[in-house]
Amino acid sequence: MTIDLTQFHDAFFEESFEALDSMEAALLKLDIGAPEPELINTIFRVAHSIKGGSATFGFSDIASFTHSCETLLDELRSGGMQVSLDISDLLLKTVDVMRAMLRSTQSKQPLDMQRVSDIQFDVELMIAQKNAAGPGNAPAKPAAVAPVAVAPPPAPARAPEPVSVAATPMVAAVAKHWEISFRPYRELFARGNDPLRMMRELAELGELKVEVDTSALPAFAALDAQSCYLAWKLELAGDVTEDAIKQVFEWAEGDCDLDLRLVGAETTAAPVVAAATASAPAEVAASNIVADAILSGNTSPLGIPSPPLGVPSLTAQSLAARSPAAEEPKHEPSAPAAAAAAPTAAAPTLTAVPSAKQDASIGAVGDSGSIRVSVEKIDELMNTVGELVITQAMLSQLGAVLEGTNAEKLRAGLAQLERNTRELQESVMRVRMLPISFVFSRFPRMVRDIAQRLGKQIDLKLTGEQTELDKTVLEKIGDPLVHLVRNSIDHGIEMPDVRIAAGKGAAGTVHLDACHRGGNIAVEVSDDGGGLDKDRILAKARQRGLVGQNDVLTDEQIHDLIFLPGFSTAEKTTDLSGRGVGMDVVRRNVKELGGKIELRSERGKGSRFIITLPLTLAIVDGQSVAVGSETYIIPLISIVESMRLKETSISRLSGHNEVFSFRGDYLPIIRLHELFGVEPRARALHEGLVVIAEGDGRRVGLFVDDLLGQQQVVIKSLEANYGHVEGVSGATILGDGSVALILDVAGIIHAASMRATERPATERSAKEPPAGAREAPVGAAA
Amino acid sequence: MNKRKQGAATRTTRRGRAAKTPGAETEHKSASGTFAVAAECTVADAGTLKSGLAKLLDDTGVVTLDIGSVQRIDTAGLQVIATFVRERESLGRQVEWRGAAPSLAAAAKLLGLSSLLKLPTPAARAVETAS
Repeated sequence: MTIDLTQFHDAFFEESFEALDSMEAALLKLDIGAPEPELINTIFRVAHSIKGGSATFGFSDIASFTHSCETLLDELRSGGMQVSLDISDLLLKTVDVMRAMLRSTQSKQPLDMQRVSDIQFDVELMIAQKNAAGPGNAPAKPAAVAPVAVAPPPAPARAPEPVSVAATPMVAAVAKHWEISFRPYRELFARGNDPLRMMRELAELGELKVEVDTSALPAFAALDAQSCYLAWKLELAGDVTEDAIKQVFEWAEGDCDLDLRLVGAETTAAPVVAAATASAPAEVAASNIVADAILSGNTSPLGIPSPPLGVPSLTAQSLAARSPAAEEPKHEPSAPAAAAAAPTAAAPTLTAVPSAKQDASIGAVGDSGSIRVSVEKIDELMNTVGELVITQAMLSQLGAVLEGTNAEKLRAGLAQLERNTRELQESVMRVRMLPISFVFSRFPRMVRDIAQRLGKQIDLKLTGEQTELDKTVLEKIGDPLVHLVRNSIDHGIEMPDVRIAAGKGAAGTVHLDACHRGGNIAVEVSDDGGGLDKDRILAKARQRGLVGQNDVLTDEQIHDLIFLPGFSTAEKTTDLSGRGVGMDVVRRNVKELGGKIELRSERGKGSRFIITLPLTLAIVDGQSVAVGSETYIIPLISIVESMRLKETSISRLSGHNEVFSFRGDYLPIIRLHELFGVEPRARALHEGLVVIAEGDGRRVGLFVDDLLGQQQVVIKSLEANYGHVEGVSGATILGDGSVALILDVAGIIHAASMRATERPATERSAKEPPAGAREAPVGAAA
Repeated sequence: MNKRKQGAATRTTRRGRAAKTPGAETEHKSASGTFAVAAECTVADAGTLKSGLAKLLDDTGVVTLDIGSVQRIDTAGLQVIATFVRERESLGRQVEWRGAAPSLAAAAKLLGLSSLLKLPTPAARAVETAS
C-alpha cells in the first residue's frame, strides 16, 4: 500500500501561504535591535514547518531554500546575530521568494530560479559574514543553546554517570512543565502525519522527555505497517505556551487524542529549571529520554557533534515493568510525578478533541479555529435561504388575510417562522463574513516598501481591522484600497523636509479605518499630507474643456473631477501635487460593489477617502416603489430623500427636460414610467412622488407613483439568468410571488441622458440647440 | 514511491555496505541473518520493510540489522523495526546492529524507542573498535 501524498498538497499550500502571511506580519513587527523572542520564534516556526512540509512532499528546492532561512533565523533566535534592518529586509525578501516558489510549485509554472539563488546566496552570505566577523562569537552558540541541547559534548564523556543517577526521579527539577498525553489513532500515518516531526518540534520548544507506550503494538505478524500503534507521554519543560504546543499537533488534530496539562506552575520546588539543567547535564541526561535539539544540530553551520546515541536502560526497565494489559495511559505512568504535583490541583486540563481548538484560539496569531468550506457550498446555502425568505414572505402575506379560529395560531407560527428565517439568514451571511484585516494585512509591507523607495517617512495606522464584511466584497475592495493608499503616499504625504517646513512632523500618517455605519460598512483612507490643490484641478479641467470657463463649482464638485476617466492621466503627466491616478477605476470598482466613494480634502491638512459599501452582495436594503402596476426596488444606499413636489418648484427646460429645485440645486427629473414604458397612475408631477437618488456623484429625482415600503430583498442576478439591462442591477421575488426589478441609479441616469440626447434628433427639429438639452441633465446634476 | 523496494527486501550477507562505517562489527557472528535496512524507511516503505523483516523473525540465530545506509526514517518505519526487535527479544532471540545511522538514532531517541531498540551508543562502539 502506498499513500498518495498529492492529496495533501492543497492543504500544505494553503497552510503555507497563511503561515507566510503571519511570518511577514511578525517580521514587520520586529523591532530592530530589541526584537521580541516570541516573534522570532513565530517566524522561525513558519520557516521550519514549511521546510518540513516541503521536504515531506519532495519539493526539494523549497526545502533547501527554507533551510537557509531557518539557519539564519536560528542564529537570530539563539542571539548569535542581532536583528538589523538589513536582515529584516532580507527576510522579507525570503518571504516573497518562498511565496513565489510555493505558488509556482502549486501551479506547476516555471520560476525565476535566478532570484531564488540570489536571495539564497544573500542569506548564506549573511550567515557566513557573521561567522567570519565574530569567530569569538561562534563558539558561544552551543553554550547559548545548551539548555535545549542538553550540552551534547560532555554527555558521552560522563557516560557511566547517568546510569548511576538514573534511579533518582526527576521530581526536583519538575518546576513548571507540560504533561502531554499524545495517543494517535491508527490512521495517523495515513493522514500524512509523522509523530517524529512533532517530537522534533516540541524538542525545539523546550526540554522534552519522551516516554513511549508500546502496549498497543501487536505481534509482528499482525502489524499493519501503515497504522500507528504507539502512544506517548511527554513532558515539556520551559516557558512554552499552550498555543505553541497545539500548533505542533495542529495537523494531527482529529487523528489523535491529545491531553495537555500544565503541572507545577506554582510549586516552590525549583523555579530555575533552565539553570539547573544547564549546569547539571548528567542529571538531565538521566531522565528517561532527553530530547535534544537534533534538528538544530543538523542544520547548524557549525556542525555540532552528533548527540549521544541511546540512553541508559532505565526506560527499558520501566517499560518492561509495566504490564501491557493493565495500561491506564492517562495517569498511571507518571504516578510519582502526578503525586508531586498534586498540590497544584488547579492545573488546567485541555483535551484537544477536534473542535476544542475553537475555544483555545483567543488571541492566537492569525490562527482561528476554522474549517475550510468551498465558497460554492456557502453560495448554495445562501441561495436556498434566499428562497426560504421568499416563501416565508409569501406565507405571511397569505396568513394575514386568513380568517377563522386557527388563523391567529397560524399567524403566531408565521411570526415565529419569520424570526427564525431572519436569524438563519443572518447566520448564513455571517459565515461569509471575514474581518477586513485580511485586506489590511497587506498594507504594512506595501507602505514600508513604497515609503522606502520614495524616501518618505510614513506611519501607517490601522483601526477597525476586525470589522467584518462579505468575502466577495472583501476580495474586490483590495485593489481600490491599494490604489488609494499608494496615492496617499505618493501624492499626499510630502517629503520630510517639506513637512517640517510646513510645521508638521517629518513622518506622515496614513490611516486606514473600517467601521459599520448603519447597514453599511465604511472604509476610510486618510492622510495628513498636502491635500488636493483645487485651483490646479479646476484649471486643468477648464483647460481640457470638462468644465465651462465661467462655471462655479463647489468643493465637492471639484473633488469629483479627479474621478473622471482620463483626468487622472493628465494629472500624472503634468506631475501636479494632486492625485488622480486611475481614480476612475477606483470609483468604478466601488460602484460595482454597490458602494460609493466620497472625498474630503483640505489644502495643507490632508485628504480623506471614504468608501461606503454594502455588507453583502446577496441582500440589499431596498425601498419598493410603485410605478403603474409594477413594483421596483431602489437600493436605500442611493436614496437621499423622497418628497412630493409642488407645482411651483418645477421648471421645464427646453424640450422634455424637467428640473426641480432641491435645496438650492436644480435636479433633473427622470420619469420611471417613461424609461420603462409602463402605464402610470399619475402623470402630473405633483400627483406622484419624487425619490431623490444619487448615483455616480450625480443626483436626480425619480418620479414614481407611490412608495410601498422598505424591506431587505434577496438579489437574483439578471446577468446570470437573462442578460444585462441598463439601469437594472438585478431582480428579486416579492412576497406575493411577483418579480421586482432592482434599480441601478447610476445606470438610470446614464440611460436617461442617452434618451435626452436622442430625443432632439428624433422628436424635434433643430429649433432648439441640442447641446443645451444635452447639457441640462448632466450639467445640473454634476 | 516504492522505487527502492528491491534494495530494501534483499537479504544480504555482504559486508561491503557496512565497511565504510568505522564501528563495523567483526565477523564472528554467524551470518545466518543479516538484513540491510534500506535508505528510505518512511511510511511508504514500511510495508516492504515489514515483509523483509518477517522472513527473519523465526531465524534461530543472531539476526543482524545493517542500518549503515539508512538515510531517512519516520515513525512508521521505526515502529516496524521496534516491533521486530521486541518480538525477537520476547522469543529470546538476539538482534544485533551493524553500522550507524544518525537519522535512525535521532528518531529513536525522539520517539522514546532507543532503549527498546538497544542501539549501540557511540561510546560503546568506540570501545568495540578499539579492542
